[in-house]
Amino acid sequence: MQIGTIVMMVLVLGLVWGGFAVLLWMSIKAERHGD
Amino acid sequence: MQTKEMFTSRWGLLLAAIGMAVGTGNIWRFPRVAAQNGGGSFLIPWIVFLLLWSIPLLMVETAMGRHARKGTIGAFGRLMGPNYAWLGAFVGFCSMAIMFYYSVVAGWCFKYLSGAIGGGLLEQSGEQYWTAFQANGWESIVFHLVAMSVAGAIVYRGVIDGIEKASKILIPLLFVLLIGGTLRAVTLPGATAGLNFLFNPDLSLLLDYRIWLEGLTQSAWSTGAGYGLLLSYAVYTSKRDDIVMNSMTIGFGNNSASLLAGIMVICSVFALAPADPGAPAAEELLQLGGPGNTALSFLWIPALFQQMPFGRLSLILFFFALVVAAISSLIAMIELGTRIFMDAGMDRRSAVKFVVVGGFLLGLPSAYSIQFLMNQDNVWGIGLMVSGFLFAVAVNKFGVRRFREELIEPARNDIPVGRWFDILLKWVIPAEFLVMIAWWLYQATISDPRWWSPVAVFNLGTCVFQWAVAFILFRLFNGRMAAATLTESEG
Repeated sequence: MQIGTIVMMVLVLGLVWGGFAVLLWMSIKAERHGD
Repeated sequence: MQTKEMFTSRWGLLLAAIGMAVGTGNIWRFPRVAAQNGGGSFLIPWIVFLLLWSIPLLMVETAMGRHARKGTIGAFGRLMGPNYAWLGAFVGFCSMAIMFYYSVVAGWCFKYLSGAIGGGLLEQSGEQYWTAFQANGWESIVFHLVAMSVAGAIVYRGVIDGIEKASKILIPLLFVLLIGGTLRAVTLPGATAGLNFLFNPDLSLLLDYRIWLEGLTQSAWSTGAGYGLLLSYAVYTSKRDDIVMNSMTIGFGNNSASLLAGIMVICSVFALAPADPGAPAAEELLQLGGPGNTALSFLWIPALFQQMPFGRLSLILFFFALVVAAISSLIAMIELGTRIFMDAGMDRRSAVKFVVVGGFLLGLPSAYSIQFLMNQDNVWGIGLMVSGFLFAVAVNKFGVRRFREELIEPARNDIPVGRWFDILLKWVIPAEFLVMIAWWLYQATISDPRWWSPVAVFNLGTCVFQWAVAFILFRLFNGRMAAATLTESEG
């Protein structure tokens, strides 16, 4: 695997998948608190 | 006015809205557009425009739907004044016109799923199967009817028992299918070449404006920003429901599904592309347009998957994922139409029947002629850009700061909305639209000497002609639409 691929995978997947995971977690937490 | 139906939880709304955004386009359009526009380089503008176009417009849609408690016509009329209800009618019609042919494509997914389960799809080449299917005009019509009926039956049961319950099953299932397919694809021998193709960027391509315009188009097309679909769902949300974080979750959820589908499709193509010298290479396969730009899904995926171990099972799961994605988006489109007719005084069940029967009949030309379908895809797909811009116009007419302070900030937002929202709505989104339309007009006129013809499949003339007919008719009937919709009838 090329170095550019690894860097972009970390950045893009980290931002999009990581962002989605954090937002989902925050939504679940907010729902549990009744928001 | 409060409607009786409401989503029972934030989770229910989120799943329904992610289902609205994640459609068949995530599975076949994203890999093709990414492949045609430099792979890794394309991902940069695609993410930038998620933040600068799609998420702000999703926020606007949510706030407008909740404020008006009505569909697109009522929401524009309520925000801008009754004289502007026709702009909401254009937004609604744009999505309805897409529904007419989207149901036909959803029908193709049903047909291919049945072919994968029954085994017929594996007995012939992808091209033979497709040609035989299309030659049999009635079959396309029957599967179009199946798609409209399945999605219509869900909407018929209402927001809680239909849309929310179905979304709670369909969307987790879709993500499981996508994750399973992606894991299978990345473990195929040769899949690394696909990852290099999708992620390794050529940064010099970022100087090419076309990459940025394609990034904007794909982001808007895929997230559903500017369709009016989220606006229709927001009618059934509580005033205190978060607007900012929900819109961000929908946008990021959609892009996450696109990346899963992109890795699944591109790695599969690179791992399974035929080695014979005469056959197209993996890069060429990914860029094929074909009928309705679906050549990859309907002609090549069946051929490629046949070669792998458990190929039939993989094929069934692939087309099942396509069916689930198609239905979850189709129910949002039917709900948009249903909401508009409910605002005019119809009860839900009559409105759903009217939309489903009307959608089936108006989709028949697309089911019968793929040329007609491609024309409609072109006209109303680009029309969505106009539709998104109309939301920005509505917010500017109301006052951007006032919109933020009165319609967004009172919600219990876990992520605060600041002046960045004002700047995006006042300057950035209108500028994005103007640059994109100017580029499209320039390209359309220099590349086609018959650009003015209103009867071509793909050109400027056919788009402007059909948009103009819609705008003129809605403007003429604005008074009647506004009077019927802006009364305080209960939906």
